[in-house]
Amino acid sequence: MLLAFDWTQLAQQIVIGLASGGVWATLAVALVLIYRSTGVVNFAQGEMAMFSTFIAWSLVDHGLSYWAAFLLTVAISFVGGVAIERAVIRPVERAPVLTVVIVTLGLFFLVNGAARWLWSPETRSLPNAFSTRPIEVAGVAFSIQDLGTIGVSLGAVALLWAFFRFTKLGLASRAAAVNPDASRLLGVRVSWMLALGWGLAAALGAVSGMLTAPALASFDQNLMQPVLLYAFAGAVLGGLDSPFGAVVGTLLLGVLINLVGTYVDWVGTSLRLPFALAVILGVLLVRPEGLFGHASARRV
Amino acid sequence: MKRKIYLSLCAACALVLVTVATGASTPGLTSSEILIGGTTPLSGPASAYQSVAKGAAAYFRYVNSKGGVNKRKIKYVYKDDGYDPSKTADRTRELVQQDKVFAIFNSLGTEHNLATRAYLNALKIPQLFVASGATTFGKDSKQYPWTIGYQPNYRAEGTIYGRYIAKTSPKARIGVLYQDDDYGKDLMAGLRNGLGKKAKLIVSKQGYDVTDPDVKSQVAKLKAAKVNTLMLFATPKFAIQSFVYASNLGWRPKAYVNAVSSAANIMGLATVAAGKKQTEGALSIVFLKDPTDTVWKKDAGVKLYRSIMKKFKGGNPNDVYAVYGMSVAHTFVAALKKAGKNPTRASIMRAATSLNVKNDPFLLPGMSVGTSGSDHFPLDQAKLQRYHAGHWVSFGGLFRVR
Amino acid sequence: MRRRALGIGLWLLLAALVLTVYVIAPRFVSDFHSRDLAQAGVFFIAIVGLNILTGYTGQISLGHGALMAVGGYTTAALAVHEHWRDVWTIPLAGLAAGIVGFLIGLPALRLSGIYLALATFAFAVAMPSLLRKFSGLTGGGQGLRLLEQAPLQVTGLSGTVTIFGHSLTQNHFLYYLTWAIGLVGFVIAWLILRGRLGRTFRAVRDSEVAAASAGVDLARAKTLAFAISGVYAGVAGALLAIQDEIVNPLSFSFLLSILLLVGAVVGGLGSLPGMVVGAFFVQYLPDLSTRVSSAPGVPDFVYGAAIIIVMILLPSGVGGLLGRLAEPLTTRLYTRP
Repeated sequence: MLLAFDWTQLAQQIVIGLASGGVWATLAVALVLIYRSTGVVNFAQGEMAMFSTFIAWSLVDHGLSYWAAFLLTVAISFVGGVAIERAVIRPVERAPVLTVVIVTLGLFFLVNGAARWLWSPETRSLPNAFSTRPIEVAGVAFSIQDLGTIGVSLGAVALLWAFFRFTKLGLASRAAAVNPDASRLLGVRVSWMLALGWGLAAALGAVSGMLTAPALASFDQNLMQPVLLYAFAGAVLGGLDSPFGAVVGTLLLGVLINLVGTYVDWVGTSLRLPFALAVILGVLLVRPEGLFGHASARRV
Repeated sequence: MKRKIYLSLCAACALVLVTVATGASTPGLTSSEILIGGTTPLSGPASAYQSVAKGAAAYFRYVNSKGGVNKRKIKYVYKDDGYDPSKTADRTRELVQQDKVFAIFNSLGTEHNLATRAYLNALKIPQLFVASGATTFGKDSKQYPWTIGYQPNYRAEGTIYGRYIAKTSPKARIGVLYQDDDYGKDLMAGLRNGLGKKAKLIVSKQGYDVTDPDVKSQVAKLKAAKVNTLMLFATPKFAIQSFVYASNLGWRPKAYVNAVSSAANIMGLATVAAGKKQTEGALSIVFLKDPTDTVWKKDAGVKLYRSIMKKFKGGNPNDVYAVYGMSVAHTFVAALKKAGKNPTRASIMRAATSLNVKNDPFLLPGMSVGTSGSDHFPLDQAKLQRYHAGHWVSFGGLFRVR
Repeated sequence: MRRRALGIGLWLLLAALVLTVYVIAPRFVSDFHSRDLAQAGVFFIAIVGLNILTGYTGQISLGHGALMAVGGYTTAALAVHEHWRDVWTIPLAGLAAGIVGFLIGLPALRLSGIYLALATFAFAVAMPSLLRKFSGLTGGGQGLRLLEQAPLQVTGLSGTVTIFGHSLTQNHFLYYLTWAIGLVGFVIAWLILRGRLGRTFRAVRDSEVAAASAGVDLARAKTLAFAISGVYAGVAGALLAIQDEIVNPLSFSFLLSILLLVGAVVGGLGSLPGMVVGAFFVQYLPDLSTRVSSAPGVPDFVYGAAIIIVMILLPSGVGGLLGRLAEPLTTRLYTRP
């Protein structure tokens, strides 16, 4: 019976799942970044990433090579993220968390509207970052692009980790997130640390968009909406305060959705996502802080 | 079911009596103007289809610049429903009760037009040229005589593919990637219908939901089933993905692309991303002149289209949906002319169901817009076209399908 | 003593004012706009419920729109499959959504904050897919259309409705029905929140640990809050189905849950009167945004900007502002000099 089971098909579907999940991973890390420093889920993260993707497209359209456009877009997005934080988040810094959440929802509409206004709604495409030529190993096909996407996501997390661990600025940023009052006493510009966090998250979002668009072969203003959903779910699964957890969570989610779709017939096409979300919920009920998250002690 | 319809029509009569009793002259009609309205997704996920309304609006402005129809200018108002059927119902009621339009025209979406069909039929308001390929808008004309569709319906399209495959590739291994809703299922039903006895040539069916991130896994499964003829009953985003993922897997089946996803810019994106060889030889149906196809560069109809789009601000001229809009507007004008010097809602409905328009400059040569008592499908012809070296080239004769 | 009488007198005056506005408002707008007001009423009922859950009990819910779907579909399914008159389905719709709300509340016992938000968010995201799946009951992708499938169950099919001898247009009927239920719901919410249950809810919101150590049954309080908010959402959903005469999965997407949350926060969490403003904000702002310009993307841009500006200016929502404005009056009435 074991031999009759199509192991190649299973391996193929796992690989496909990892490739899909890899696309969401970078956005998930961006969500975690902002959540860790502000306790807020930035619902506009996906739309900001989409906007960055359009900027990249315009740059390529004007003749830049993919990687030149990539780096320039990341830089522009970083600045944009900082600007948004200063303009829109800072005024509500001291407001209740839900108020800030609503502000990010307002940003969602605003950025989406801006993208629709500045660029027409037709379908476009971004060139591939990596080669899509198929490579076959033991009957399982994948491409450099799949590997590259996961690689970039892991690389981004690694860079982020290194930044927070080994640089003075990173240390200050962590301190500001953990204990703003004490940090202020030590001379840390807490407010600007938040802006830094938003800038980095926006840069990560840009990377995410520029990887997603080629992976999905075409894009328009709706590009990141499903991705935000998957990134949020994957990040929660991994633990919302762990960037590494965000990557693992989204990869797992990708594999889960694919395997469910392939092997569980009664779930059917339309229930794949709800089923995956139900599984995440199940995990949370057993481990409420996610796979790699930290249980927070509650102050009375 | 029949009893329900009968009762609903009776109840509707009461509604009509109220309207008549209030002494209504024909709403939306003055000696110098006729007001028509519809709904269209100006915002939300389907907003790319808004050019259907914009193209039509530009055509009406063109007609008005030439004096209108029987000295009346056509005022066409379209409202945003965000692709949400309950908003469609709301906006349509607004058009009827507040704006007092003469007729509802060119509203987009299957569920959306279904949401307003009973209401409009009860009030005897024409629901003209619904922008949806669902078969019901022509098939159920006995229960809903005030509703009529326009484009070749999805089932008919699937039938054309089925018949063609049965005739030319009787040993094909067919795999279908379909959107798991009425649109995808309609195409599937048509395919089976067209294949007839050869329906068992379908060896694999993979559905997807619009909330799915991608169709990688479906494409992999179709390849694993050794499919050599791939039916893409999918919307543009997923159709492009199918070409690309198949190419990534080193798989090159013969592809049939449904009309919704066959626009030249979509195929262009797929060709760039998946490679020329992947899209070469793909088949689809066509009934409009695609403005980006160089084969129509010198065509009078396309030249007219471009000049109208430019002069009357119709939007992006390379958008084939705008051509659709102009074609349906052209047909409306024909129906309006036929409805007489003092059209009524009843007379325009009679005109719309007895059309015989042969000079639509935006449809393929030889196509006609035809309706009659037993045929409530204005467009039921199409040609097959093959994708070759970056262009669609039509071949063969005009299919007529019901 | 005199102060107390003055306080009661002012409340009665306010109540009389509200009732008067309720009764005569339709006269100042066109017949069709009464329907818009009725839809604002639907939002009002829904966000009062959301406020009880999120504003007063501190439980974040991103799934309120899905609870509305439960109510709306209960109404439509009862009308189409069981031939119930549309208005008589309202209590059952509320009950069904209340039960589902209770079930959603169960994970809340283990999860809090953002993790609870995900659980409710998952529910909201799953709802359209679930609705499409069980098509025998829900009509699948095409939804249920009352005019086609259950015309005899629609109140006001002929265009007019006769109540207590008065003849109303269908639009006016919908307005009066919705806001009558809205006002009753408001009073009930006010009574709940000012009593012991309300204090329990607020204790849970302010500090679960403190509440638990004071003997509050957290499980009971949270699930009750979810259930109550569910009932409100269900009734709102039922009224929406009655107004639109259709239900469709596309109408109950995640976007609806977002809009309700925006309405509740803009109106002011923890403030019931603010919910009126929240409801009108959600109902009329999209339309107004379109009026600024209908160029693609601009309405959304304006809408988003408006939300942001309101939140920056009024971080506690309109309710917070109302509270501050009324402060001189309430302090004078309710505190000793």
